[in-house]
Amino acid sequence: MSEWPAQPKVLGTRVPRVDGPAKVTGQARYSSDIQAPGLLIGMILRSPWPAARIQRINLEKARQMPGIKAAVAVQEGPRIVRYYGEELAAVAGVSRQACEDALRAIEVEAEPLPFVVREEDARKPDAPRVWEQAPNMPPPRVREEGNVDEALKECAAVIEGFYTTSVQLHHPMETHGGTVRWDDEGVTAWISTQGIFSVRDGLAGALRLDQSKVRVVTEYMGGGFGSKFGPGVEGVLAARLAREAGAPVRLMLSRFEEALAVGNRPSSFQRIRLGAKADGTLHVFDYENYGTAGVGAGQATEGGGGGADLPMPYIYRVPNRRIKQTTVAVNAGSSRAFRAPGHPVASFGMESAMDDLAVKLGMDPLELRIKNDPSEIRQREYRIGAERFGWKEKYRKPGSSPGPIKVGVGVASATWGGGGSSRTQGEIQINPDGTVEVRLGVQDIGTGTRTVAAVTAAEVLGLAPDQVTVKIGDTRYPPGPGSGGSVTAASVAPTVYDVCTRALEELQKQTGLPDVRGENWRAACKKLGVTPLVVQGRWREGLSSSGVGGVQFAEVAVDTETGLVTVRKIVVGQDCGLIVDPLTAESQVNGGVIMGIGLALYEERVMDWQSGVVLNPNFETYKLPGIADVPEIDIVLINMPERGVIGLGEPVHIPTAAAIANAVANALGVRVNSLPITPRKVLAALGKVPTAKA
Amino acid sequence: MKPFEFVTALSTESARELLGPKGQYLAGGNDLLGRPKDDITEANRLVNIKALPGLDRIEPGADHWRIGALVTIAQIEDHPEIRKVFPGLHQAAAEVGSQQIRNVATLGGNLAQHSRCWYYRHRDIQCLKKRGRICYAIEGDNRYHALFTGNVCISPVVSNLAIALTALDATAIVLRDGQERRMSMAELYELAWDNPTAHHSLRPGDLILRVEIPTQRRRSAYLQISEKHAFDWALVSCAAAANLENGRLRNVRVALGCISPVPHQVAAANQFLEGKAPDDDVPDHAADLLLAGAEPQTHNAYKIPMARALIRRTLRQLQA
Amino acid sequence: MKGSETPSTGRLSRRDFFKGLGTTALAAAASQAESVAQELQKINAEKVLGPGPVPVTLKVNGKTHKLELEPRVTLLDALRNHLGLTGPKEGCDRASCGACTVWLDGVTIYACQKLAIDAQGHEITTVEGLTPDGRLTPVQRAFVERDALQCGYCTPGFVMSVSALLRKNPRPTVEDVRHACAGNLCRCGTHPRILEAALVAAGLPPVSTTRTEVINHV
Repeated sequence: MSEWPAQPKVLGTRVPRVDGPAKVTGQARYSSDIQAPGLLIGMILRSPWPAARIQRINLEKARQMPGIKAAVAVQEGPRIVRYYGEELAAVAGVSRQACEDALRAIEVEAEPLPFVVREEDARKPDAPRVWEQAPNMPPPRVREEGNVDEALKECAAVIEGFYTTSVQLHHPMETHGGTVRWDDEGVTAWISTQGIFSVRDGLAGALRLDQSKVRVVTEYMGGGFGSKFGPGVEGVLAARLAREAGAPVRLMLSRFEEALAVGNRPSSFQRIRLGAKADGTLHVFDYENYGTAGVGAGQATEGGGGGADLPMPYIYRVPNRRIKQTTVAVNAGSSRAFRAPGHPVASFGMESAMDDLAVKLGMDPLELRIKNDPSEIRQREYRIGAERFGWKEKYRKPGSSPGPIKVGVGVASATWGGGGSSRTQGEIQINPDGTVEVRLGVQDIGTGTRTVAAVTAAEVLGLAPDQVTVKIGDTRYPPGPGSGGSVTAASVAPTVYDVCTRALEELQKQTGLPDVRGENWRAACKKLGVTPLVVQGRWREGLSSSGVGGVQFAEVAVDTETGLVTVRKIVVGQDCGLIVDPLTAESQVNGGVIMGIGLALYEERVMDWQSGVVLNPNFETYKLPGIADVPEIDIVLINMPERGVIGLGEPVHIPTAAAIANAVANALGVRVNSLPITPRKVLAALGKVPTAKA
Repeated sequence: MKPFEFVTALSTESARELLGPKGQYLAGGNDLLGRPKDDITEANRLVNIKALPGLDRIEPGADHWRIGALVTIAQIEDHPEIRKVFPGLHQAAAEVGSQQIRNVATLGGNLAQHSRCWYYRHRDIQCLKKRGRICYAIEGDNRYHALFTGNVCISPVVSNLAIALTALDATAIVLRDGQERRMSMAELYELAWDNPTAHHSLRPGDLILRVEIPTQRRRSAYLQISEKHAFDWALVSCAAAANLENGRLRNVRVALGCISPVPHQVAAANQFLEGKAPDDDVPDHAADLLLAGAEPQTHNAYKIPMARALIRRTLRQLQA
Repeated sequence: MKGSETPSTGRLSRRDFFKGLGTTALAAAASQAESVAQELQKINAEKVLGPGPVPVTLKVNGKTHKLELEPRVTLLDALRNHLGLTGPKEGCDRASCGACTVWLDGVTIYACQKLAIDAQGHEITTVEGLTPDGRLTPVQRAFVERDALQCGYCTPGFVMSVSALLRKNPRPTVEDVRHACAGNLCRCGTHPRILEAALVAAGLPPVSTTRTEVINHV
C-alpha cells in the first residue's frame, strides 16, 4: 500500500502558489482574454418576460446590422420560456457595440403568460403553474424512523422553530462563457469551467461532433463555486455562432446575466421540532422543509445536486425522526450545485435548532453538541477550537451582554466527503536538460491545483516546486475529474505521486543510476540523450481518503440601536487529512468563511412579484462581503497524514453562517431566524420597528 | 449603450448650446454612464464639462468657502483644511462609493445624481419616474425607500453630500439660461417632492457651478448606516451642524438622508434644539420632531429606529 | 450674485485652459505649451464627435496609441479589445467590482465607467505597465508570498489599488488599506491576505487577520 513519506521535505510546507506571478502581473489568460485572428464578440438576447409563449423570433434585421456576422435562435419554432432572462437568441459581431445594436433589432413575437416568483405565492393551490403538467409544489417525500409522536412526550424539552434562508447567487468574479473557434481539426473552446471534460462532452453532444474533434482549454478560470459545469447554453451558442460566422467567437455573460440564468443555491423554509431528554440526549426530530430551485423544481440540474432537499438531521443521530421535504417551482432561474450543496443551509437549520434547544434546557450550547456529536474528529475540533476561541470565558446566557453593542458567541459544525477520483490520470515529461513538465486534464478554480501538483512532484522527485512546470486545463492531457465536491486535491496528489514514482523507476532503469533524485537529477536526465522521457500514471490507493468534519466558532457584535451586525472573529477547527500546502489551505478556509459571512449577513436574490424580474441583478444591491466586512479569522488545521489527502474547499464554507446566526441570537437574547441577517431584521426582532400602515 | 455624440465644451455658454434637446453634461460619469448601459435614460450627446474653466477650485474664505462643482469627492476628502473646518462634509465625502469612484466623481455630479431605486434602475421596468404608469415600490419591495413623500414616487435622495451640505446651510450656484441662481439645498431638491419624474430641481441645461458653504457653524458631523461596512449605499444618513457655546447648540441644523426625495429637515426640530445641550432625552425629542408624520411602507419602517439612533449619535459627535 | 473672481462665462484665458486640461499639459515644457494648446484646439475645439468611430489617442503604459473608436466605447473595452491589454478584467461593467481598476494619472479609476474618448490627454496605467521589464514590484511579490490571490481574476485590480495607495501613503494603517480597497470585490476570499500583502509591501509588520496553527494529529 502506498504511503506519503513520513518526513516530507516539501509536502506540508508553505509554498507560494506557482501561478502567482502570472496572476499578479496580468499575464494569466482567462477564457475572455484569449486572442484569435478575426475574433468576434457574441451576445445573448434574453426573455424580458418571466413566462411567455414565444411564437416567432425574427433575426433578419439583426443579421443585416453593420458588423454582424451571425445570428441564431436558441431553438427553432414556438416554445415556452419560464423565467426572466431565459435565453432566446444570440448574435456575433465585430464589437460589443455592434452586438448591442443587433440585439435591439431582434423581433420577438410573444404572448406573456401568468407567472409566480415568490415561494409563498407559488405554494398556493391557485398559483399559476410554472410547468403546466405539474403542481408547483409536489407532495413532500417523507422519511420516518422510530415514533415521533410518542417520542415527543418523552422529552424533557422540545423547541419549535421556523428558520429560513434566501436564494444565494454564485457570482464568481469571472462570468460564464468563453471563446470558441472552429478549424479543420474540429472545435477548440476556451471556456470558463470547473470541468473541461464536461464541456467537451456537452459541446460534442450539442454540436453532433465526435468527442475526439472537440478540445477544451482552460488554463485559468475566475471561480465557479459549482455553477460552471458543462458548456451551458452560452457555450453552445458561442460554438453555433462561430460556425455560422466562420470566425472565432468570444461570448461572456454580463454580470446582469449572472444573476438570472446560471444557477443559485435554493432557498429554505425549515420548520423544526427538536426534543431532548433531560441530560441533553437528542430524542426526536420533526422536520418540514420546502425551498425553491427555480424552474428546476428539484430535478438534477446541470452539474447535479441543485435541488432544495437538505441532509437532515445533519451531523446528529436522532432515534425518532420524521423528515418531509419538497421543492417549490417558481419562474426564476434554475438552481445549480453551490459550494457544499445543501450543507450550509442544513447546518444553519439544525444548528439554530440546537442552540434554541440548549437555551431551553439551560445548557451550554457547546456542551449540548459534545453530548450528541458522534464524530471523533469533531469532538477534537470542539475542544481545540473552544480553547483557541475562549468559549468558556466568552459564553454568556443569551442577551446578557450589556448594550447597546451586544456581543455574542455561537458554534456550528460541518461534515463533508472530499475524496479523490480513481479515474484520474496524468503524465510527466522529463527533458534531458532536467526540466520537468507534469500534465493533468484538471482545472484550477482558484484552489491551487497547480501548486498541489508541483508540491507532490517536487516531493517525490526530490526537486523544488519551482523546478516543476505544471500544465493543466486541456482535454488533450490525461483526464481527471471536474472540480466539484472538493475532490481535486485528493485526485491530483495521488495521481502525481504515481506518475512521478513510475517516472523515477523508468529513469533509474534507463540511466542505470540507482538514485536519480535531488542532486543526482541533472546528471541522470542528461543521460537521456536527445529524447525526453514521458511516463503516464493514474490515481493510486492509499494516498487519499474521504470524510472530514469541521467546527467553527463565531463572535459577533450587534449594534442594537441600528441593527448592524459586525463579525469580530471566526475560529475554525478543520481537518483535511494530509495538508499538502498550509499556505493555500488557509486561503481556502478564508474563502469559505468569507463566503459564509455573505450567506449570513448580506446575500439574497430579490424577485419582484409584480413584474417577475430579478430586482438586484448587480453588485450594488446583491451584496458580497468586502474587505471591511472581514473579521479576524483564526484557523487550526489538523494535519492527519495517515488519512492521506482530503479536499477542503467546501467543508470550510458549511458552518460559518450557522455559527454567526447563533452568535447573533446569543448576543440579542432573541433569534433572527432568517438569512441574511440584515439591520432591518435585527431591529424587527428586537421589537423596535413600528408596524407599517396598511 | 446606444450610440451618442461626444463633445468637449470650453465655456459654459457653448456647453449649454451644445447640449441640444437630448444632451447631458458629463463630468465624472459614475451615474451618467451607468444609466445608458441599462437604457435608463437616453442621451444622444454627452457634453464633457471637465474642461470648463474655474469650476475645479476649492477656495477657502473667512465667511464662506467656495467649492467648484468639478472638484472631485477625493479632493474634498483629502483636503486637510476641509477636515477641520467642515468635518461633516469630510465624513460624508469619505463614505461616497469607493476610492475609484471618489477619484472621478464630482461635487456637482454627486448632487445631481439620479434615484437609485431598483425599480427605476431596472432596464425592464417602466416605473412612474420613467414616465410609466405606477410606482412599483409601493406594492413591491420598498426596503430602501422613503418615509416621506409629497407625491406617489417613494424614491429617496441618496446624495451623501446633499445631506451634509444641508446641515451646513450651503448654497448651490446654478447657471440657468446664462444667469446664476442661488439655491439652498432645499431649493435644489424641492421639485422632487411634488414631481414623481424629478430627481431634483435642475432643469435640462442647468449647470451647477459651485457650492458656497458658510463657516458659521464650527462643528459638523455626518453618519450613515449601511448593510455592509463599506462601499454600500446608506440605509439612512444624518448630518448635523452647529456651534457649541458652553455645551449648548447654537444655529443648529439637522438633516436626514435616504428617507425622503429631498434632504429631510424640520424647522421645529432645529428650533427645539436651539440653545440646548444634546444630552439626556433632548436628541430623542428632536428625533420625535424630525420623524413626525413619517409614513413607513411595508418594508422600510426599520428606518425609523435607525434614524433615531443616528440623530442621537450625530448630535453627540458635535460635542466631540 | 456674481462672484468677483473667475467669470463663469465668457472667454478662457490660456492659463485657465491649461488648468482645465490637467496635469499632463502642466507637465509639458513651456515651449511645448503653445503647440499642445493649438493641437487640442484643433482636435477638440468643441467639435461634436461621433456617433460613428472617430480618432482617439490614448497614452497607455507610456506608449501612445491611435485608435478609431465610437464615443460609447469604454476605456476598458478599448484596453482589452482594441489594445490587447487583458490585465484589467471585466467583472461587472458597472463600477461596482474593481476588476477593471487602472490608473488615470496615477490614481485608481474604474476603466469600465470611463469613456475611452474621455481618457485622452491622460496617462493611463494598467497592471501590465507596473513593470515594463517584467520583474515583480514589491506589491506583486508580497501578493505572491502572502498568497493574496486564489483564482486571480480580481488580482490585477487589487494590485492597482494597493500600489496606488502605497504611492500616496507609504506607511498606511490597516484602516487605510481597507479604505483604499473597499471598491475591489473578491469572491474567493483573499481579503485577509491582501491586507497582509499591502502592509508587507510597505515594509510594515503584517498585521494578519488570519492566524493558522497546524496541529499534527497523533
